[in-house]
Order: sequence, then C-alpha cells, then structure tokens
Amino acid sequence: MTPAWILYVFAAIMLVVAGISTCRLFITRSWSGKAPDADIDVAHVLMGIAMAGMLASGLRTLPNDVWVAVFAIVTAWFAWRVAAEARSATGANALATGHHVPHFIHGAAMIYMFAAISAAGSAGSSGMSGMGGMSGSMGTLKLPTIGFVFVLLMVGWAVFDLDQLTGHLSRSGGDRRVAGVSLPAGLRQRVALAAAGGGSPALAAGVVTAGSGGPDLLSAASASSAELTSAAQVSEVATPSDEAVGRLLLDPRVTIGCRIAMSVTMALMLVLMI
Amino acid sequence: MVSDSPAAAVAGGQLLRAGASTATRQAVTPDARRRLQLVLAAIWLLDGVLQYQSFMFGRGFSQMLAGVAPGNPAIIADPITWAAKIVAQHPVPTNAAFATIQVLIGLGIAGRRTIRPALAASIVWAVAVWWFGEGLGGILNGGASPVNGAPGAVIIYALLAVLLWPVADGDRSDRPPFVAALPVGAATAKVLWMVLWGSLAYFAVTAANRTAQGLHDMVAGMGGGEPGWLSAVNRGAADVLAHNGLAASIVLAVLLGVVAVGVFLPLPLSRAAIVLAIVIALLIWVVGQDFGTILAGGATDPNSGLLLAVLAAAYWPASAVARRPTDSTEALAS
Repeated sequence: MTPAWILYVFAAIMLVVAGISTCRLFITRSWSGKAPDADIDVAHVLMGIAMAGMLASGLRTLPNDVWVAVFAIVTAWFAWRVAAEARSATGANALATGHHVPHFIHGAAMIYMFAAISAAGSAGSSGMSGMGGMSGSMGTLKLPTIGFVFVLLMVGWAVFDLDQLTGHLSRSGGDRRVAGVSLPAGLRQRVALAAAGGGSPALAAGVVTAGSGGPDLLSAASASSAELTSAAQVSEVATPSDEAVGRLLLDPRVTIGCRIAMSVTMALMLVLMI
Repeated sequence: MVSDSPAAAVAGGQLLRAGASTATRQAVTPDARRRLQLVLAAIWLLDGVLQYQSFMFGRGFSQMLAGVAPGNPAIIADPITWAAKIVAQHPVPTNAAFATIQVLIGLGIAGRRTIRPALAASIVWAVAVWWFGEGLGGILNGGASPVNGAPGAVIIYALLAVLLWPVADGDRSDRPPFVAALPVGAATAKVLWMVLWGSLAYFAVTAANRTAQGLHDMVAGMGGGEPGWLSAVNRGAADVLAHNGLAASIVLAVLLGVVAVGVFLPLPLSRAAIVLAIVIALLIWVVGQDFGTILAGGATDPNSGLLLAVLAAAYWPASAVARRPTDSTEALAS
C-alpha cells in the first residue's frame, strides 16, 4: 500500500494549489474588480480541494456524486471555451495549444476518477473514503484503458507545460519584465500611459525593467489595454507587501506551475487506481 | 525605482494574465529533437509515477529485483541480490527515493534550463537500473527476447539520452541527416543502431525463442489482469503463433536484420526501414508487451516497444531542405 505520508504530501500540494488560486481570485477582484481567468482559478480551487480529499480521507468535503456533478459542469464550461477558441483565429490549432484545453482534459479526468470511485464503492470495494483507502484495493477502475489514456495526457501536458514555460522564459530573457514576464517596448508604453492616466507614475519605471520586446506579448497589450487603463485607475487598497505578494501570485508562471502540479498528481492518482 | 502602487501591480497582474493567455496560445514550437526529448521526459515521468504504485512499497519490488538475478554470472547477480536485500529491508524510503528521482529526471528533461543535468542523471540512473533492476535485460542468462523487452527497456533510455543530448546545431551545410546523429555523428549513430537492432535479431532466434511454442507461450502468458480487448488480442496472436514458433522467430529475425542495416541504405530505403522499425516496435509493445502491463497494474515502466519506436523516430532521415533549425534547446538554454 502506498504510504499515507506520500499521499498527504501530494494532498498538501493540491491544497497549496487551491490556496494560491483562491488568493488570485481575491486579489484580482479586490484590486481591479475584474478576474479575466476566473474560470481557470475556480477550476483549480475545486480540483485542488477535490483531489486533496481523494488523497487524504480526512480532507474529504463533498460526496463523490456531488463532485461528479460539479466537474461535469466544469468540463462542459471548458468544452464551450475550447469550442469558442476553435471558432476564433486559432482554429483547429486551439486543440493543440489552446488556453483552455488542458483544463477541459483535467475536468474530464476528474469526472472519470470520481465516477470510478463511485462505481467501485457501489460494487463493494473497500476503502472509498479517500485515496489512502483506495490504494489498498487496486483494480478499482472498470475501464483502465481510459485511465491509461488520461495518464498519458497528464504526463504529456506536464512536460509540454514545462517546456513552454522554460522556453518562453529563455526567449524573453532580455525582454522588458513585469514580475518576471517579458514586456515588449510597445506594451511598456501602454503601461506607462495607463499608469499616467490613473495617477500611478511608478508603474512604467518601477514595474517595467529594461530590455527588448517580443510579438506575442505585444498582442497581449492590444487585447488588454482597456483592462489596463481601468486597472490603473483603481484606488489604492493594498500595502506594498500585499502588492509584492499579489504580483507574485499573479505571475503566469504560478498558474502554469499549478497546472503542472495538478497534472502530475492526477497522473499519480490515476495510476494508483488502475 | 520600484513601483509602490497597487494600481501598478494590478496593471502588471492584468498584463501577466493576458500575457499568460497569449503566451499559451502562441506556443514555442519545438523542433524534432526537442519533441523527442519531451517524449523521453514524459516516459521518465510516467516511470516515476508508476514507481509510486502500492505494491512497489511492499515486498513486490524487492522480489522483482531478486527475480532478475538467477542465471546471470555471479559478478552480475551478487550485486543484484545485495540491492534486493537492501530494498527488502527498507522498502518505503528506497522506493520513495527511486520514484522521486525518476519524476525529477522527467521534469528536468522537460525544463530547458535543466535538460543537461537531467539527461546526465538519466544515463547514470538507467545504467544502474539496467544492472540492478533488469539484470542486464537477460542478455546473459539466455532469457532475452525482443518480444519480452530485450536488451532491457531502461538501457534504451540511456541510449536516447546520449543521442538526444542538446548540442549546438551546425550551419545548414554540415547538419547531420537525422536527429540522433547530432551529438555523436552519423557514422557512430548508425553503428549504435545496427548493434541494437542486430542484437534484437540475434535474440529472436536464440534457442529459447525459436522453439515451436516459445513465442506462443510468451504472448499467451501476457493476458492476465489485462482489459478484455487486450486479452483478446493476446489470445488471437497466441493462436497464430501456436506451433509456428520457429518460422515466426526466423521471420522476426529477418525483419529486425533488415531494420539493422536499413540506416545504411539510400534515403527511400532508409525511410522504409525506419517505418518498418516503428511498426515492429509498436506491434511488440501492444501484442508482446501489453503496453508494459501497465493496464494490469504492477508495471514499473512501459517496456521496450515504446522506447524502440521513439528511438526509430530519432533516426528518421530528413531531406536536405528540412535540415534547418526551427528551435534549438542549445540556443535557448545557453
């Protein structure tokens, strides 16, 4: 049987992911009134809590059937978002590189795991109170082939995410940076304008550091200039220390790091259930 | 000057989010070598996750190690037995360490800044596991067969790590004809290929594998605990092989021999040989190895078929026009 302490370690990681995502939601809401990727953060919160409950029986929150229903909604939502991405400029490429595809797959895997647990529980298998119990009763998946496919997707996405993350960081090594993320020259000007318009002159000189730009984030600037302006006009509500923490939590590397942690943990759970 | 405005931070945060979205959409396109490195990373990660399975923390792991010692020379078998005893005495910490090491190797290869130390670690780890965990793949005890995983799945990890080592691409005129040739040169890479696939051809017709029921028994014994469809595949293949072991072994050896020399042939024939290698590897992986028995629970790796297919992909001959860099880990990491 997989030692409980190992499962607790992964459960703790999932709780950290849930906590970070909760903080991201809170920060973006309270500072700007907007949360552009709120659906992703909400999904991470739900998955983190649910997976922690599967890994450690003491952390269970809701019945399995309720979680199945919750993740059915989450999966349907991201399926709609993926379809919207596919209809947009990214086209079919959205399936390979889309922003929401990993979350759609994660949601489907969660449904599968909870459905598998419920099925095993109704069939009389022992220890359905969490992964700790489950790991002692192997062979609980009725369709292990699907589980294996999900495992391959999870490990594949984890290494792809890590490659993309480190690839972007390497390429943008000399770019303008906001909390570690590159900002091209054009975007830097927009930041400066937005900051000036909102009475925040420190923005351009303080948040942005020296370097050169890149095309991908320049397009990001175009997409977000309205949000940027309104964000810069928000009244001051946070202390400098809050700001530092907030800046760290809003770093996209944190989001991708959370996704990698969830992919690896989900792969582990699926393997334990095969 | 440091920003002290929460509005600035919010603006930055919005940018970060927008940047994340856009960056995710506009993926860094990996070149052929990087793609294969990522596949290797994924397989290492899968191995690490499999190592966390319940039975590995009990007596199963040490028994598995001890089981590869018999039939090997004492100089090989004694250290295996010693290692198995240590694992039996401390199953939880040793297996937890093994699993974590493999997960870290996988994640390290996936990271562009950590790929070199991770690949180096993977070579050391793979050679150690090949000896202590696989008994050198059974090549010295007469039990090796290309169908059951000879010459040992894990040694192919080490070979891949060498052949996929990130080195600076040369200029377009002197770029090697296939990915695996980049770090060691085309001639050395071809010799390594011929040795590997030639050894597989040899193992296909060793005494134990060319008996009338040898291959049949091997395939028929795979179905236990597998999903119904895979068991049915095993039964069907076993029926075909029944009493035809000698003929099947000779055919397999001939095909493997063709693959072994295929990389020395002109471009069209070389490509045909690579395709044949991939087909054979995947056939072995599915029919002979049942995906490494992962679906039955109790596997520690996906076995050799998948690795052989990945290796073959590294030898796919590119046309001269295609030999231009689109993305270089070397350039990014340096």
